[in-house]
Amino acid sequence: MDDILVVDQLKKQFGTFTAVDGISFRVGKGEIVGLLGPNGAGKTTTIFMLLDLITPTSGDIRIFGLGYKRHHEEILQRLNYSSTYVEMVPRLTVWENLLIMAKLYQVPDPETKIKNLIGRFGVEEFLTKRHEQLSQGQKTRVHLCKAFLNDPEILLLDEPTASLDPDVAAMVRAEILTAQKHGMTILFTSHNMAEVEEVCERVLFINHGKIVAEDTPMELAKKVRQARVNFMMKDGQKRTMEFAKKSGFTATADGRFVTISVDESDIAFLLAGLGELGVEYREISIDKPTLEDYFIKMTMKEAV
Amino acid sequence: MNVKRIEAIVQKSWYSTQRDIFRIFDIFFWPVIELFVWGIFSVFIAKTAIDSVNLVTMLLGGVVLWTFFNRASKDISLAMIDEMWSRNFINLFSTPLLISEYIVGVIIVGLTKLIVSIVFMFFLAYLMYGFNISSIGLYIIPAALGLTMFGWTLSIFVQACFLRYGHTVEVLIWAMASLVQPFSCIFYPLSALPYWAQYIARLLPTTYFFENMRATMMGKGINIGELIIATGLTVFYLVLALVFLYRSFDQAKKSGSLVKNY
Repeated sequence: MDDILVVDQLKKQFGTFTAVDGISFRVGKGEIVGLLGPNGAGKTTTIFMLLDLITPTSGDIRIFGLGYKRHHEEILQRLNYSSTYVEMVPRLTVWENLLIMAKLYQVPDPETKIKNLIGRFGVEEFLTKRHEQLSQGQKTRVHLCKAFLNDPEILLLDEPTASLDPDVAAMVRAEILTAQKHGMTILFTSHNMAEVEEVCERVLFINHGKIVAEDTPMELAKKVRQARVNFMMKDGQKRTMEFAKKSGFTATADGRFVTISVDESDIAFLLAGLGELGVEYREISIDKPTLEDYFIKMTMKEAV
Repeated sequence: MNVKRIEAIVQKSWYSTQRDIFRIFDIFFWPVIELFVWGIFSVFIAKTAIDSVNLVTMLLGGVVLWTFFNRASKDISLAMIDEMWSRNFINLFSTPLLISEYIVGVIIVGLTKLIVSIVFMFFLAYLMYGFNISSIGLYIIPAALGLTMFGWTLSIFVQACFLRYGHTVEVLIWAMASLVQPFSCIFYPLSALPYWAQYIARLLPTTYFFENMRATMMGKGINIGELIIATGLTVFYLVLALVFLYRSFDQAKKSGSLVKNY
């Protein structure tokens, strides 16, 4: 796969604070990569450096094999960006804002392009409303329209589905996957781990400005070996709790429901032990580790 | 520079102005107030002083020419602060838009507003006080151009200060013209200033433009040498302001203030 985005030893210092600490990564053409990490990890600073809105202290960014120093316009013409946290001109209508942005990207037939996009993102109904009159969810949809205006080869999405209703968020995810099928490369930040698992092929986990893990969502989740075994008890709840405590497992009870966190390799031992004690349960389910568990584990580890 | 992107900036401003009654109001309100205050003062002088006709014309001429400078000195910085308040800066500069294209777009919008303001002011000055533009003669052309250019220069300087120091320097938008005004000799000759202030006045192109306005009105003719000095100073300050703006833009990208403040 051709690398369309190459980041090498990228570092950003604000005074004595190091926001991004020498990160390196590559993104191939048509890949969807998730940039994850807790608040203040350095994700947004990285995205702003990729947009040439922040100048790196050191390191190199090559997009389409080009550098910003000599190819600023050319790179940004083929790139786009959407963030829930950025505003458009409040007094302008949605149509006017999109028209201005289309002109800034020199879209050949802006009206037709906008008409195509508004249908895809369900923006028609508030097209004549001013930006300041929109709900956060509506604004997010307008930002996504803006992000697709120039058919970018690389799309940087910062929390693209924040504030969206689940059905609209699903529609947006479908659009992202469709765009990928057409060869678009996407770098994606989100706090919705299920979404990242669904959409991203690869995840860069960033914390304190460093990439602390890089893998597929599934492989990262596997690094968390803790599974949750959930029981709806019929008989022997007290014995179950005692057994868990004696075996060194973490157990929580809520009415007739008991959840025990165990290493995946200890599940058989747990079930056999409860069987020997004559514990009876009506239902049992096992939650395998997810990307969210990995995120929590990594964040907690750093916090400790 | 890309014409389409400049056109987008002009169009954005046009849409914004249409939607905001206060922006339209701003084009007409300040010229009317200035004209009203100085016009009343002129009428008072005309009634009390002997041979005051020239003085009245000079005062009104000063007000009209000052409007070129005063408006231009706010145009670019007001446009920029509007982007800051709208939090639209990231959207604009994550596109291929260049800072030079943005400035050109803002200047085109400013020029349009300035022309509307000035035409309205001339009309009102004639209607209220019988002021005739012919009293300034063709000198209005170099004076208006020079004062507008110097106004934009100061506006670019203020814009560069925003980028470098953030919201704390907002007050400069409104203060800059007032800081320059006492040394610009709009309503009095250079010789009326204290000796030390004359040194400062000679460093300002505005002084030469207003000195020559008075000379023209008194029929003494234009001092070409002074106009060359004024033009030279304007170009010199404009170049300095542009260099400062580009450096401040780079500095804002380095410090992160371009995305933090806007």
